[in-house]
Amino acid sequence: MSILNTGTKLGVLVIIFLVLALLGYALFGDRETVKTSPLVGKDAPEFTLKLFDGKRVSLSEMKGKTVLLNFWASWCMPCRLEAPALEQSWLKYKDKNVVFIGVNVWDENSSASSYIEKFGGGYPQGIDPEEEIQVDYGIGGVPETYFIGPSGIITDKYNGPLTEEIIDYYVNRAAAPEGESPSTN
Amino acid sequence: MQTIENRNIAAAILTLLFLIFLPGISTAESLDDRVNEVAHLLMCPVCQGQSVAESNSNLAQDMRQIIRKQLEEGKSKEEVIAYFVNRYGETILASPPPRGVNWLLWVLPGLAIVFGGLGIGIYLYKSQSGRSSGDSGKRAEKTAADSDYMLKIDEELKKRES
Repeated sequence: MSILNTGTKLGVLVIIFLVLALLGYALFGDRETVKTSPLVGKDAPEFTLKLFDGKRVSLSEMKGKTVLLNFWASWCMPCRLEAPALEQSWLKYKDKNVVFIGVNVWDENSSASSYIEKFGGGYPQGIDPEEEIQVDYGIGGVPETYFIGPSGIITDKYNGPLTEEIIDYYVNRAAAPEGESPSTN
Repeated sequence: MQTIENRNIAAAILTLLFLIFLPGISTAESLDDRVNEVAHLLMCPVCQGQSVAESNSNLAQDMRQIIRKQLEEGKSKEEVIAYFVNRYGETILASPPPRGVNWLLWVLPGLAIVFGGLGIGIYLYKSQSGRSSGDSGKRAEKTAADSDYMLKIDEELKKRES
């Protein structure tokens, strides 16, 4: 014997379906939106880094060049994985109007210096003394890498360890004339 | 006499110092409150369910420092929040704005309460009326049985009398 009539049962089923649909959307839907950095397609925020060799470098000095901006830390294992690829790619691109810049975040200076000695990195690497660049660029972890076109517009953001193939792909997209649609991984 | 004069001078100096430093003290407190208020409105991007105010992660500390700096520069609460949304997206907001799919998050709890209440009400009403109708049915059956029984008794009595 059932106390609920057919209409009430139908209503309960519809509500259960709606709740499950919403739960499914929250868990599995719109993943790309979650991953996309709102900064892609916009002007790259200006910064000035204090490099480990004592010099300073600003993004504004790189106008007209393609920039690979890599955020890393010495305690980060995936950063160690991508370090050889970054070094190899820098050697490949350094005379092709492409600049690599490493930004060390949430780290000790001594550990970072040891890391650079061990894993190479002939390109400029430094820290933001104000510790603001990581938030200015919406960084949530390391490694994360931004690709900036010659006009200063962010074309892509890549979360996770890079490989030479990935670097080639995104550097070429950043260096390409404007008009190609930017995206993230 | 000299002691009373000294006390008055000391009290005057203390009052003066209090008045001088009071605005500074109250400003510092209100800035802390404002930093805390904004930090509670933002979720820490690298934490599980913690706001920027609650988290001790490096990123949350950096974010609190930036909130403080921007408020000190005279930016409004909304401008500071917009700065973070422009970098991390709307997922950083502790309370998603009620637009697009987000409005479901605001409407569904209310709907759940309304429909849940209605469901419980219907259930209770039906179970109550079911019990009532069941009772009256039994009572009717009992009355009918009683009347049959009484009829039989009457018939038996009439037979005996005759």
